Amino acid sequence: MMMQPNPAGRPAPVPGEAPLLSVDNLCVSIRVDDRSVNIVDGVSFSIRRGERVALVGESGSGKSVTARALMRLERRMKATGSIVCDGRDILKLSDGEMRRVRGGTIGMVFQDPMSFLDPLRTIGDQIAETLRIRGVSRRDAERKALHILDELKVERAAERLTAYPHEFSGGMRQRVVLAMALIGDPRLLIADEPTTALDVRVQDQVLALLDEISRSRGLSVLFITHDLGIVAGFADRVMVMYAGSVVEDGDVYSTFAAPRHPYTRGLLDAVPRIDRDSDRLASIRGTPPHVFARPQGCPFHPRCDRAFERCVIERPVLRELGGMRVACHRPEPEAAR
Amino acid sequence: MSRARSYLWFFAKRLGTVVFALWSLGSLVFLMIKVIPGDEAQIAAGPDASPDQVALVRQRLGLDASVIVQYFRFWGRLLHGDLGTSITTFQPVLLDLERTLPSTLELVVVAMLINLSVSIPAGLIAAARRGGRTDGLFRVLAVILGGMPAFWLALMLQYLLAARYRLLPISGQNSYGMEPPRWTGVPTLDAIAAGNMASLLDALTYIVLPAAVLAVLYSTQIFRALRTSLLGVLESDFIMAVRAKGATERRVLIGHAFPNSINPVLTLAGTQLGAMIGAAVLVETVFARRGIGTYMFNAVAQKDMYAVLGSVLFIGAIVCLINLVVDVLQIVVDPRIRAAQFGRS
Amino acid sequence: MSLAPAIRMRTPRVKISFQGACVSLLIALLVFAALFGPMLAPEAIYRSDILSSLQPPSAAHWLGTDDQGRDVLWRVIVGTRTTLLSAIAIVTAYSLIGVAVATIAASGPRWLDEALMRVTDVGLSLPSMIVALGFAAALGPSLQSAIIAQSITGWPITARILRNVMHQTMEAPFVAGAHVIGVSRWRLMTRHVLPNSLDVLIVKWTSDIGGTVLILSSLSFIGVGAQPPSTEWGAMIAGARGYVSTAWWTVLAPGIALAITSVAFGLLGDMIQAWRDPSLRESR
Repeated sequence: MMMQPNPAGRPAPVPGEAPLLSVDNLCVSIRVDDRSVNIVDGVSFSIRRGERVALVGESGSGKSVTARALMRLERRMKATGSIVCDGRDILKLSDGEMRRVRGGTIGMVFQDPMSFLDPLRTIGDQIAETLRIRGVSRRDAERKALHILDELKVERAAERLTAYPHEFSGGMRQRVVLAMALIGDPRLLIADEPTTALDVRVQDQVLALLDEISRSRGLSVLFITHDLGIVAGFADRVMVMYAGSVVEDGDVYSTFAAPRHPYTRGLLDAVPRIDRDSDRLASIRGTPPHVFARPQGCPFHPRCDRAFERCVIERPVLRELGGMRVACHRPEPEAAR
Repeated sequence: MSRARSYLWFFAKRLGTVVFALWSLGSLVFLMIKVIPGDEAQIAAGPDASPDQVALVRQRLGLDASVIVQYFRFWGRLLHGDLGTSITTFQPVLLDLERTLPSTLELVVVAMLINLSVSIPAGLIAAARRGGRTDGLFRVLAVILGGMPAFWLALMLQYLLAARYRLLPISGQNSYGMEPPRWTGVPTLDAIAAGNMASLLDALTYIVLPAAVLAVLYSTQIFRALRTSLLGVLESDFIMAVRAKGATERRVLIGHAFPNSINPVLTLAGTQLGAMIGAAVLVETVFARRGIGTYMFNAVAQKDMYAVLGSVLFIGAIVCLINLVVDVLQIVVDPRIRAAQFGRS
Repeated sequence: MSLAPAIRMRTPRVKISFQGACVSLLIALLVFAALFGPMLAPEAIYRSDILSSLQPPSAAHWLGTDDQGRDVLWRVIVGTRTTLLSAIAIVTAYSLIGVAVATIAASGPRWLDEALMRVTDVGLSLPSMIVALGFAAALGPSLQSAIIAQSITGWPITARILRNVMHQTMEAPFVAGAHVIGVSRWRLMTRHVLPNSLDVLIVKWTSDIGGTVLILSSLSFIGVGAQPPSTEWGAMIAGARGYVSTAWWTVLAPGIALAITSVAFGLLGDMIQAWRDPSLRESR
């Protein structure tokens, strides 16, 4: 069956409006024994206001490092290129200016809420801290914290403020982490695998909450995950990362219906689906390359069924292809199957 | 097991360990008495004692009985607080020790205060500037100072600061005529109790150098432990989350990393307290403070064996008790250790 | 993202650091002084020459002379052998006790392990220097007494560390595997567990030399160890103590020798540890 993307189903792009975030040729490198290794290798993308973008990839693909580089949180790594957020280049800000961006313009939610909370501080303290840093009085900050927890549907929020992280369940902790990110009223929320450490039922709750909040606040969201199942229901757009670069970037409907990059297709084929009749689950052969041993040419070629000589020699660049961006010398046909 | 019962069980076990330790200590001292070459009664009575006196001591100590009987009698005397009689002061050893203990404790407490107030800021600064010049300098200093023999450092500083440049008094505990009325035996406390500021200042000038010398080795240990602990905590996820809120490095370090790093440091400081009492012996003798160390030093010089071994027993017992108190305090004060001790099992 | 495996895959380059060079040089100097010092020293340092006593540092006597008119520098050099040999004897002796206790605890039945560890706990909770002081005083003040006293009081930390390492090795999969194919307990201990603990033991042995030198000299200083005519550094300081305000150099030199020795061996221990355990290298 042929499935055409439905343009009415996603928000219409606003022509002429500058994107909230635009990343251009971002490279993040780490020094190991006097040589420098690019973990993120020339990534470019942009996010519009109110847009929700999923960044998908296996572990080691550089997606988390990309996310942290947006906040300049990887202190041992060096980032080059440009990251323009709300009109300012993040990589050129002074440390003081950068601190105002963290928790202000950009909020961040992390993977494992337990390890990302200070075990010795109360929940209320930690949520309010974002505001306290900005000189808000204790009373006002705590009132705001209470308000946020209410918004996140935490029951008996007032009592919860004085509790410690270990007294909370996983889902509750993730709401606390979310509250910490939201209290500074950010324009962009970066969520680094926010549901990975949670069990499935709680995952759904947190996702629904994130969906609701981002809609009502008009938040842009960069959602990092390795779980394609989550992407479909939540994001407007999906970017696929492999070995440090973006290999495919397109709206969710088109990408899921007809992925153009063999890697994306492989990922999608590996997702179990009840609507498709097959008795075995496809998986991509081989394993993703280690950061220090990325192959020449197209980094995916050793695992790719469609690879030919050019893939071994020349690294494909991300190019426009029927409304999407794909980095492949021999993309999948437009109308899949 | 209920929480209350597991507490009780914990304290009982600790107490059992201490009783076992004290019994071992006493037995070791009994062994020491037995390995002393020569006639035990002669040693106890002193080299200048007349044959009559030696015979009297022999009878009092029951040295004619078998070793096992002697061992039980030894414990009987210990439990009555009889550590023998000093052949130089002609006083019961326990009484001498009780008089000298306050001075030693004062030295150790002041040294501990100096220790922490130097090593903790140094550790914080080094961790904040990890890999930098200040960090490097502090680490080199810690290595060098940590290798210096305390008694030698005491002698050299005494010579430089007191004898040569006369910044501080050379030795003793008070200037002549400045002694506060004896109440606790601790010069600084007695001065405070007497409300005598001049006397307090005077006592402080006497204690600052010995205490600083005693603190040196231990503060290098605390510095290293704190630095390592801080560097570990600074790598943890929640620190990144705090930075993501826009916190300054100062806030990250003092507000979040430090409270989460202090635990191993406090444990170390607890064990140091005991070790410092042992090391105080060395420092005291140099500065002629009227503490257990000086008493012991003189006893060694006079071959006053009962005074020496009595001091060993006394210091050992005090260290054991301090270790017990520190252990228990940690459980009472820190909810995290409590959780770790009683939450999991 | 974990970078550690790839780092370990690369062959470690032998990179001599400044610190490593300094430590090696110091250790070489100490060993040289211990081996050849007594042979090279002039006869005069064993005789007293009251006429030239307490002379300040000069071209003839680089670090001055002591109260008996003996050259301080030569005495310190000669003392290296006494001090180092004593420390090595002490650490070796108590390491052997520690190995024995740890081996019996780790391989014996549970109750024995428990009992030995309780005894070790007691050993750890007592102030070892004070107990050593008591023993040395009881045996009669001399260098030998101090060596014996420290040998019988120094073992608990070594025993505790080794026993823990042995326990860990015995839990390791390859040991469990060897057990399954019928390797005897004794063979397991001697062929697998002990060699695995050797690394830890060597590091501990080396770093302990420094601390032991300090305690040994402390005992001499208190008066229960080596006695003043001895060239053991602590005894030298004890003997020179009364002259510190008139002849500071008599105290200075042996103290610096002590500090150098304890620092050098401590750092050597750290270096060996870093060399044997690559994971530590990154954290420094």
